[in-house]
Order: sequence, then C-alpha cells, then structure tokens
Amino acid sequence: MSGYVKFKNQQILVVGATGGLGGAIARHLMREGASLIVSGRNEPKLDALSQELGAVALPVDLTDSAGRAQLADTIGTVDGVVYAAGVAPVAPVRYLKEADAEACLNVNTTVPLLLIRDLLKTKKLKAGASIVWLSSVASSRGTAGYAAYAASKAGLEASARCLALELAPKGMRVNCIAPGMIETNMAEIAAERISSEALAAHLTAYPLGAGQPEDVAAATSFLLSAASRWVTGVTLPVDGGFSI
Amino acid sequence: MRLEKFIEEFEEAVEDIEPGLLTATTKYTELEAWDSLAVLTVIAMVDAEYDVRLKADALKSYETLEELFTHVSALS
Repeated sequence: MSGYVKFKNQQILVVGATGGLGGAIARHLMREGASLIVSGRNEPKLDALSQELGAVALPVDLTDSAGRAQLADTIGTVDGVVYAAGVAPVAPVRYLKEADAEACLNVNTTVPLLLIRDLLKTKKLKAGASIVWLSSVASSRGTAGYAAYAASKAGLEASARCLALELAPKGMRVNCIAPGMIETNMAEIAAERISSEALAAHLTAYPLGAGQPEDVAAATSFLLSAASRWVTGVTLPVDGGFSI
Repeated sequence: MRLEKFIEEFEEAVEDIEPGLLTATTKYTELEAWDSLAVLTVIAMVDAEYDVRLKADALKSYETLEELFTHVSALS
C-alpha cells in the first residue's frame, strides 16, 4: 500500500490538543497525512506541538464566545473536528464546588456543542465532515466522586445523537469515543485524589489492562475516516473490555 | 484554623463516625471507616473548606489527625 495517505488533503481541527489524549490524536492524524489545526489553552505546549507537527496553532479560549468566533473566523473549511478538551473534578457531591461543577458541564458538554454551532454558522464544515467528541466510560457507569463529570459526558453523548440526526442530510457524521482509564495526565491527576491502591484495584476491572493514548487515537482516526462512513450517532467504547 | 474544628469536619466527612469520638491523637488510617471513599471525601472536604489540594498518597504520610491538621495548616 505504498503511497496510500489516509487523510490526504484533509484539514482536521483538534481541540484540546495540549492534553494527553489530544496530543496523541494530533500526532496520529499527522502521521496519516492530515493537515492539522490544533487548539488549546496552554500556549507554550501548543507552540511546541504545532512546530513538531507543522500544524496551525490557535491558542484560544473556547469557553469564551469571542474565542470561538476567532477560531471560526481564522480557519478554513475542515473535513473533521476532534474535541478532546475536558476537565474532571473529583469530589463527592457533598463537597462538590459550584464553580467546578459549572466549569465541568461547560467545558465538557456546552462548549463542544457551541463550537460546532459556530462552525456550522460560518460554513466551516465541509459536506461529509466527521465530528468526534471524547466522552468517557463514566457516562454510563456510576462512580463515587464523579457525578459532575459523568453527567457532562452523558450529556455530550446525548447531544451527539441529536446533532447526528441534524447533520445527516449534509452527509456529516457525529460520534463519541468513550475511553476507559488511559495513562495520561488526567489519569495521573485522578490518582492524586484516589489512592494508588484504589487506582490499582480499579484497573483490575480492565480485562485488557490500562489503555494508552494511542488506542484512543487509532479509534478517533477510524471515526474520522471514510472507513466509518455509515457510522453516526454512536459512542464507541475504547476501554479494554471494561464495559463488557 | 483550629484543630478542634478540623476534627469535627473530619468526623462529618468520614461518615459512620460518632461525633466527638475522634481526638488529635486518633490514627485516622486505622479507623474502620477509612476506605477509598473516605480518602476521596477527606481530600474533597479539605479542598472545599481550606482550599488545599491534598494528594491521596500524602494522607498515608501522617498518622494522627493533629499531624494531618498541621500539614493542611501549612498549606492553607
């Protein structure tokens, strides 16, 4: 298959590219020939990533409508959008901070929806574009301490199903990926609030063991590509068998 | 910050502990109610009440509630 380039002449926007999963996804898509636009709030990390990948960097705050407008105005039309930004406050509801709960629902659920709205209004999504949102196994399983996070991801998946129906007439697709515990910075942060023993016990629920960012990147690539052209409105578990 | 108030908040966070049962010298990791949910809850309580972000494994570094209180006081 020499000469085959999976995402030849395709522009893909990766939001949250400075995170562990977002960065892995961007690197994977670059290796498969995509032209990338990467967005994130950590400007030094974003600059380093864009130089490494030869990508266009947009260090904008997408929680702000002005930031979304700036992004929509700046980019050309895109073939795919990956939303990998997210926050995960870990606290029993009794001690859940209002600001943390609001930020979680905003960053994880509202912003990806508003971003797509703004890209649709400015006609930046090509016919046949594929949208992939990163959800979590937490959306369908109860876990103490994760009420806000689980709600945000369940909401994201519900939004994806509705948006998939709205965009199907344009040949656009919308899907989610629900990763289990992946060895990223977010998992390390969670480990700070969950003892190393509890985390090790949790990992025993994964028949294939803990996942790597590359596992999520490969699934994202599939959902962005024409290989999944008849797949829309679904949430793909990428969890090493956790949800079986 | 007062040690007595901290102990009360700890008792409230770790449910199933009778109020007034714990003292400054209580070895909290030896409590029957000390499990993974208690760890998560105490960390969240300290964050909410004292704006201090404890790490789960740091809770193992101390034995008594007074030692934990001293650690939290130093960080707040």
